[in-house]
Amino acid sequence: MIALRDILIFAGLAALAAAVIASLFPAGEGASPVPACSDCAFKLTGGYWMRQYGNYAALYLGTREAARYGWAYIDGRPLEIGENIACGSAMYLWVINGIAYVSCDGTPPRFGRDVLGPKLPFVDVRFSSDLRCTSYTIRFEANLTEHYVVTVEVYDEEGRLAASATGTIPGLVSFSIPVAGAYRVHIYAPPFFDEWHTLIAQVRISDLVRAQVFTSNDTQDLRPSTSLKIFNLTSYWKRGYRSAIVRVSPAGASFTLSAPSNVFADFLLAWEDCLTCDYTYGPVYVDEVWRLTFTQTSIVLTRVYSQEGFWHEVYVTSPPYGRVLIWTWNKEGPKLNSYTISWFATTVWFESPDSAMNARATFARECLWG
Amino acid sequence: MWSLAYGLIALAVVAFVVLYAAAHAPNFTTVNLADQLYGAKGWLASNLPSFPRVDSTSRFRVFVNVVRVAKANATAYDYRMRQWVAFPIYLPVGYRLERAGENVVYQIYLNVTRCRYAALPRGEPAVLYEIELRHSLGQLPWLDVYAAVPHNLTQYYSWLHSYYTAWRRPPAVGLTPRVGADVRLVELVKVEWALVYDATNDTARLYVAVPAAALYVLLVDYPLKLPLTCPEQIASVSASSGSQRSDTPTIDLPSPR
Repeated sequence: MIALRDILIFAGLAALAAAVIASLFPAGEGASPVPACSDCAFKLTGGYWMRQYGNYAALYLGTREAARYGWAYIDGRPLEIGENIACGSAMYLWVINGIAYVSCDGTPPRFGRDVLGPKLPFVDVRFSSDLRCTSYTIRFEANLTEHYVVTVEVYDEEGRLAASATGTIPGLVSFSIPVAGAYRVHIYAPPFFDEWHTLIAQVRISDLVRAQVFTSNDTQDLRPSTSLKIFNLTSYWKRGYRSAIVRVSPAGASFTLSAPSNVFADFLLAWEDCLTCDYTYGPVYVDEVWRLTFTQTSIVLTRVYSQEGFWHEVYVTSPPYGRVLIWTWNKEGPKLNSYTISWFATTVWFESPDSAMNARATFARECLWG
Repeated sequence: MWSLAYGLIALAVVAFVVLYAAAHAPNFTTVNLADQLYGAKGWLASNLPSFPRVDSTSRFRVFVNVVRVAKANATAYDYRMRQWVAFPIYLPVGYRLERAGENVVYQIYLNVTRCRYAALPRGEPAVLYEIELRHSLGQLPWLDVYAAVPHNLTQYYSWLHSYYTAWRRPPAVGLTPRVGADVRLVELVKVEWALVYDATNDTARLYVAVPAAALYVLLVDYPLKLPLTCPEQIASVSASSGSQRSDTPTIDLPSPR
């Protein structure tokens, strides 16, 4: 009984010793041969190393040769003839089409050369403006780890620098433009952007009823189609004039206006109240004369001149009140010489007993980015 | 007592040998480059319709996985409003795509550098595309080039217009809603092509002659299919509404957004 147990134990020990000794024998006879595999990735632990010969590369375990390959590469570089490589704890080996690619840190070899150059993740550019079209924000959204400086320069119609600002990508850039006009915006952030955009900030006049817009003097009698003449003075103030004389009627009635400060856009409204009672060379288009000034923050309507025997009513839209009667002439009612609207748009009405001359126009700030 | 000690020692020796052998046995997995390449191209193909579309070259130079487009206007018949409508479309003219697998980097750069009307040797009118082509894995042995000839151009644009009304953003010819969605509206014709390698600047130029009625060419690096258009051709066709053609490109001014 005891003898049988001893025999079993010694037989087991002998088999283990044989296995350990056998694992130290040359390739194919050990416990752990490197499998022959055409396209494979290996993790080799132990004393593996590789040597490049003139016509093959050999993988050794200790002193015995485990496998042969066409050529060996380490970290993307081919081995020189006679060069040895060994790694510390583990050797990572990729065998593809009989070529061995070795890495000690597990970085896989990558096939394919770089043909694209810079490869930045896409940056989303979002442009936004406030309600009043004077302050603008360009937002750059990207999942970048570091920040890049971006410069934004704004040039006006005459090529002068109207505004400039710097910021970062990712991040935002804010700038403001004081006067209505067309602008060119240069976004410069190497290597991302070197591009130009058009920015148009303007007051759009629409919904015209018996009204016409002029950018210089107009002395014609345009009744009955036009009872309200709108003179756009913005470009004169932008060019630096201190004052301007606006002639409105055939008789040469004129109004002298001085340059406002801090103006976005400026208009003179000249209205005629009667279709037949004033003759052409009489005082036409001077019955109600108002000035509509868009400042940085609001819209200011100021009375310049009123005359004639008819009653007049001047209305404007002003949120949240809606249509507001601000001025009456020759009748009972509000007598406001100046009215401020803190909204981006307004509509102005001129009314008299001669409803054939009632006029209307809508003014709205508009900013376009392209 | 002694037998138990012998037994434990034997067990320890066996355990050591088993563990040592397990730790030192070569650990291996198979590497399938073809699968990785297919996966990379398949990923690009499935994400292609959602890649950002850029119309400025400065962005196209640096960003990856973007589509360069040209803006244009198309005319379609709106069946709901019962009138002709003009709407903006994007015409794909370039790609910068990259996707890396475990052991392979797939990159493709395509850019339509020129396209113009030309006559084939037998006198048929054709449009000749010159496409700059760069590829991370050398040249493409399996490159296929097709021309997409619409059965009815108005029908095609009306179909695109339905996406414009639904999404309120310009659809891209050949890419909206995905590549190959217009299979019932176009006929894919195999076309002649030639690849010319220029060693001085390491670029290859692909010359493709397509029928003049074609809307776009479809480059196939299977399974990745990339449509490319000729903006000058489309502008002149829509300007002359198909009856007459001029070789003068119409210039679309950028519309403010």
